[in-house]
Amino acid sequence: MNKVIIAFSVAFLIVGCAGQGQQTAEIEQRDIFEESQSQAELERAEAEKQAQIQREQEELRRQLEEQQRRQEMADEMEMADQQAGGLDEPVIRPLSDEGFGDTQTQDDPWLQLNEPGSPLAERSIYYDFDRYDIKEEYVPIIEAHANFLLTNPELRIKVEGNCDDRGSREYNLALGQRRAESVKRAMTLLGVEENRIETVSFGAERPVAFGQDEASWSQNRRSDIVYVDQP
Amino acid sequence: MRSLRMVKTWILAVLLLVGSLPAQAQLTIDVIGGGASQIPITVLPLGNEQRYEQKISQIVSADLRRSGLFRLGAVGSKRPFPTQVKDVDYAYWRSEGAQNLVIGDVVPRPGGKVEVRFRMFDVGSEAQSLGFSFLVDSRQLRATAHKISDLIYEKLTGDVGAFSTKISYVVKRGETFELQIADADGYNPQVVHRYDEPIISPQWSPDGTRVAYVSFEKRKAIIYVLNVFDGSRKVLAAFSGSNSAPAWSPDGKRLAVTLTKDGVSQIYLINADGTGARRLTYSQSIDTEPNFSPDGRYLLFTSDRAGSPQIYRMRVDGSGDPRRMTFEGGYNVTPRHSPDGKSFVFIHRNQRRFNVAVQDIATGQVQILTSGRLDQSPTFAPNGKMILYASERKGRGILAAVSSDGRVKQRITAQAGDIREPAWGPLLNNRRKESPE
Repeated sequence: MNKVIIAFSVAFLIVGCAGQGQQTAEIEQRDIFEESQSQAELERAEAEKQAQIQREQEELRRQLEEQQRRQEMADEMEMADQQAGGLDEPVIRPLSDEGFGDTQTQDDPWLQLNEPGSPLAERSIYYDFDRYDIKEEYVPIIEAHANFLLTNPELRIKVEGNCDDRGSREYNLALGQRRAESVKRAMTLLGVEENRIETVSFGAERPVAFGQDEASWSQNRRSDIVYVDQP
Repeated sequence: MRSLRMVKTWILAVLLLVGSLPAQAQLTIDVIGGGASQIPITVLPLGNEQRYEQKISQIVSADLRRSGLFRLGAVGSKRPFPTQVKDVDYAYWRSEGAQNLVIGDVVPRPGGKVEVRFRMFDVGSEAQSLGFSFLVDSRQLRATAHKISDLIYEKLTGDVGAFSTKISYVVKRGETFELQIADADGYNPQVVHRYDEPIISPQWSPDGTRVAYVSFEKRKAIIYVLNVFDGSRKVLAAFSGSNSAPAWSPDGKRLAVTLTKDGVSQIYLINADGTGARRLTYSQSIDTEPNFSPDGRYLLFTSDRAGSPQIYRMRVDGSGDPRRMTFEGGYNVTPRHSPDGKSFVFIHRNQRRFNVAVQDIATGQVQILTSGRLDQSPTFAPNGKMILYASERKGRGILAAVSSDGRVKQRITAQAGDIREPAWGPLLNNRRKESPE
């Protein structure tokens, strides 16, 4: 029975992944078949494979979405460039492709994270007054971090929600929580495991700008993505 | 019976805040405006009071003036001031236009005690309308003066006085946050908790022995309960996510709080010892800022379930659907019941401003009481006559107060730092309106 499931899974995996990357996986699987004698080992192998199938399928789905988004992002950046009057060529790194199927994590993830110009260097999502929906322009930032988290499964983040100081402190605390949750939700929809994202709200208690005008308020209505354990 | 009750009040006043740090600065209160018809009263210096640092007649005068309901008369030109019944020259005080005249004296007694005697006369009928003697420790002269103010206020207005109460609030100085407790007139400020992370939402227990508040000292919102007698504190709620908006039930046995442990901010009931958390609201929206009705049967709270924050009312037993209470404007938050349960104050976004408003529960009628740019955290005096709230002036956080009819306004400033998040404490010993003797 188990063998049937495994065989089916392997077939599914091959179909699902169609192309680069699954060869190593297949060899590993065959090794496991040969070695595993006991029922327990079979079960463990199966669980592992199921997880891997899921991962790879998500990766594939993401890859497709990513390509789409990258195109959109490139278009957007081009537009922004034109508006700004010819800045430097934008640095666009197809992160998910680069690491796909091999052991890319030999690169220092912290370096990637702080590379100037990369969407990963952006850590803040900004909102309108009393809103917690993520505006179109911040979607690429969330996607970049989601992809980064998927390629670096050992990393965890905290999302900190903040508000401007108008209105009620307690309502703002709740609103900040919703803002943080909205980022978490977007990332989990992109495949990041829920337990790797902690949300916290500071409400209106930790402003970064102190003026009493829209310029300051808009700075304070934000979610910050903070990498836990970053050296 | 009455004297026994008063003795207990004094003991409480002395015990309160033992072990806490004295704050750096007194608060200053300015009164703006006044009641429509102010009651005339003349408070003469009490005999011998100059020997003491706390001048009772000045404290009483300041209390009465601050309420906005009294007009303080001139003390006349006759010296010495009368201190005994027989010394009162009614004809003279009539000619001075006095209607209610307060006299008295302060007499040293053995064992470091002081006897404070005061009398109030109705000049028109030439009769004593009030008279009491207090035997107190000399350190309790200020508290005694507030007690006298309460008695005068009650006699002449028919309402309970709230001069002997405490307020709590948060002072932000640089990156340091202090939870302070002071007398209702801003004197004797004491720091009861200090930390380099924000403190919000202090709320007094109904018996005045504890203050629940929210601290970010663990880098997230956690609710603590501080015992103001001994300074000890314990965690009330530290579930995953935010723990905030504590509100005591009238019997002090439990609190309504806002938790995010199950996702979005929802209202829970929790026992005062932190046990038995039970979810009360089930929405996909923000539900927060619960506040018990004085009879303990209802909660007012803020929810954005209709797309903008509005005030709702629900039964504490969870039965029935919450009823929306506010409909004017797109931002109504921070509901607080009046002590008689007939109305509630809240913060209403008034075009670009955020102001204190009051709404009658039965009729739904709304009155906007303040006009600041950013008014927050309204809290009723326990007699329902004044509303203390956080405001802002010249870029600094201040406290302000407005009478529930909007006529009298006060401004309360600290000498340094931002002052915010006020909470007016209860009447001590559950003191209610006392029958005349």
